[in-house]
This record gives sequence, C-alpha cells and structure tokens, in this order.
Amino acid sequence: MSKPKAESLTDRAADFAARVEKLSDAKINACLQCAKCTSGCPVAAKADLKPHELLRLVQLGMADEALSSRAIWQCVSCQTCATRCPQGVSIAAMTDVLRRLSRASGKAAADTNVPLFNDIFLNSVRKRGRMHEMGLMAAYKLRTMDLFSDMAKLPMMLRKGKLRLFGKRAGDKAARKAMFDRARAAGGQGK
Amino acid sequence: MFYPGCSLEGTAGDYCKSTMALAGALGIDLPEIPDWICCGATAAHQSDEMLALALPAKSLLAAKGKPVAVCCAACFSRLKAANERIASDPAVRKKVAKVVGADYDGQTPIAHMLEILAADVGPAEIAKHVVQPLTGLKVACYYGCLLTRPPEITQLDDAENPMLMDRLLQTAGAEALDWPHKTECCGGSYSITDVGTVKMLTHQVLAMARQAGADCVATACPLCQINLDLRQADIEAETGEQFDLPVFYFTQLLGLAMGLGAKALGLGALVVDPGKLLADRKIISGPMASPAPCGGCAE
Repeated sequence: MSKPKAESLTDRAADFAARVEKLSDAKINACLQCAKCTSGCPVAAKADLKPHELLRLVQLGMADEALSSRAIWQCVSCQTCATRCPQGVSIAAMTDVLRRLSRASGKAAADTNVPLFNDIFLNSVRKRGRMHEMGLMAAYKLRTMDLFSDMAKLPMMLRKGKLRLFGKRAGDKAARKAMFDRARAAGGQGK
Repeated sequence: MFYPGCSLEGTAGDYCKSTMALAGALGIDLPEIPDWICCGATAAHQSDEMLALALPAKSLLAAKGKPVAVCCAACFSRLKAANERIASDPAVRKKVAKVVGADYDGQTPIAHMLEILAADVGPAEIAKHVVQPLTGLKVACYYGCLLTRPPEITQLDDAENPMLMDRLLQTAGAEALDWPHKTECCGGSYSITDVGTVKMLTHQVLAMARQAGADCVATACPLCQINLDLRQADIEAETGEQFDLPVFYFTQLLGLAMGLGAKALGLGALVVDPGKLLADRKIISGPMASPAPCGGCAE
C-alpha cells in the first residue's frame, strides 16, 4: 500500500466528515459506535442503514453511500437517537444536513417521495403563509398519481370538520415569497 | 399570545376548540398572533436551515416579545429550536435578520399548553373547576416525540418518562397509567408519504396502551392524535386485533372534568367514538354533538 494513496483517502474522509460537522454541529467524530441510537430508533428495523451505520459512513467519508441511502428519508425525525446518545452526538441534526446535501447534489434515492412532499409543503407555505392540509394532500396525490389511497376516509373527514375545502391565508404574499428567495440564497443547500 | 399552527385550523379543529373552551373557563387570555405563518414543520428543517429559522422568527416577531402559547408539539419544537439557534449564535441571528427583514433576538418565551395548565394555572386552581371527576377512567398519556425531545431544546419534562399530562389528568380524577410507550414516535407527517411506517409505529403504541389496560389515550399533538385515531380501524382490519381506544386531546378530557360538554370540546370530531366509554364511566350521556368550526381559529 503506497503512502500517498492512503493519505488522500484519509483526507477525503476528513473533508466530508468536516463538512457535515460544520453544517450540523453534530460532533461526528465523538461517535464510538455503541449503537444505542439504533436500539431506540423506531425505523431501524426497516431502514437500509441503521443510525450508527449512517454515522460511520460519514466518519469514513463515504459521501455517495450516505447521500444516496434510503435511511435518510426513512428517518421520521423523532430525535430519539440524539436524545439518548451517551457521547452527545446530534445524529438527527447530521441526518438533516445529509438530506439537504443529498438534494443539492441530486443523489436522493429514487424510491422516496419525502423530498417531493417537502417541496409541495414548502411551496404551499410560500404561496399561502399557512399549510392547507386538503390542498397539500390533493397536490401530493396528483404528483404521485397515488389517487385512491385513503380516499374512502374523505367523506367522513369532511363531515367531521377535519378537512376544510379552503384554507386560510396569512400575511403579505409578495413579501413572503421574497423571504423564501432570500432564505434559499443565504442557505445555499439546495431547495 | 396564541400560536395555533396550521393543523388547528384543519384536522385538529377540536384541539383548538377544546383549548379555547378551557382557556375561557380558567380565565386564560389567548389572543392569536396577528398574521402568524406556518412554522415550516418537518419539511423546512429537512430541506433548508435558513427557512426553518426564518419562518418561526417571522411569527415570533409579530408576538412583540409577549409569551407565546402553543398546542401542537411539532410547532412547539420548531419555535423553540429556532429560538435556541438564533439566541445562541450572533452570526445566525444576523443571517436570519437579513432573510426575515427584521432582527429577532430569539428571546420570546414559548410554552406548550401542557406547561401553562400544569405550571402557570396549577393543579390547585384546576381542581377547583373539576365538577365531573373522570373517576374510573384509565388513560394512557401519550406525549409522542417532539414535546420532550431533544430535552435541551424543549425543556418540557423528563425525556423518557414525562409526567406533566399524567398529573393534570390525575387532578381531573382520571387514573393515569404507567406505561412504556409515552414518548415513542407515531410516524408523524409520514402519514402521507410512508403510510406503512406510520401504521407499524401506531400499531405498537395502540397495542401497548391496550396491554397496559387503557380505556383511552390522551394526546397533546395533532399528528399523534390523527395517526392513532384515523388509522386505528385500518390497523384493526389488517391485524385482526381489537383496540376500541378513543384518542382524545388532553384538553378534551380536562374539559369534560370541568363540565364543559361534548359540543364545546369538539368530541364529535373524534373518529373512534368515545360515547360508549364516557357513558359507561358515567362521565357524559347522550350522543356526541356534531362538530362545528372552532370559534378561535375559524370564522
């Protein structure tokens, strides 16, 4: 094994870990791989990577594997991992950063609808100021052509007043759109 | 000031209604923050950090420094997370000010309705208003994830075994059960994008509540409530298990104890009908009133 090759590999790993660290304040390299996060993770059993494995990929600089994983979209953002970590690693904050980098680099897993849902959600807030549940669901169903799931519940939900055909709007639309544009420009982490 | 959050204008209209009814009876003034906007919820913090800070900052600026009351656990978590980040890092504060167009210091006090009732109003005052104790009602108090996590941000109660809601409902005469799934996750907003995960997690919570001997579940979050309530029949059909667990907002149960009545508390909006249970426990008789829009959030 030649020395320069090993060094460059180490540097590359350190680069990615440092970048995620800088964006998340997650204390990436404090992780000892004890897997307590995984023990409490509600979706570890069905995700393609467990939280401690995802963290190890980041430590090792395996950016492609981390950013294209399904796990970052299977995570339900419940914060159990970060709450229980004995080393104080903010795993949930790391996962948020991985999601943003994944979107920005076009590496998001193809079989997840979470990024699309997030876009529709934020676009609705951009236009209206508030999220309108029925409009959100309609837009999502149209985009995914998942037209029939849960439709049987619709009449009951309308009857019980759980859904409103027309949601409320708030604030100055033009000013809000400008705020969204400034946030996007300032963040520089993709949409 | 009151920050209702988007769900309270829709699927959680009964949470809003019962909160307003309680506030009225206890003399808590809850004026809505003028022109509040969405906190950005999970979609913002997963997508764009600046937006996840700017959206809460914009609404909190409109509260003009007055303490803010929140009902939704997700809003509560996002507003508090934004406060912490903006208050602790001057560079972030400056960036957010540029995006929002006004400087926000991150100092507006945020309290969840549970804290306001348990700490500000207090059990002694609530006990004075209890006219119909919930005697014999076994309640599994379900806090979900975002009320107590991460604890350094939410600072609500013990992250693994919170007791705020338990004590409030004990004051109302109910039996609050000791059970292990108080802070497990229901799957939250993945109810739309990943129904399988939500059903799996919701099933675990319902099964554990049943096993602990619960008559019903009390929640303090619109997502917890709708996932446990709306998905219950599907889960029963798929697993063959029978739960029959009405899923209340804790404000509805407190309101019942205070004699506020099914209609004022929006009980007609619950999917799993609590009528039989409440009649069996002699808490209420007669059919659940049909829901009407909440006076606080809807015209």
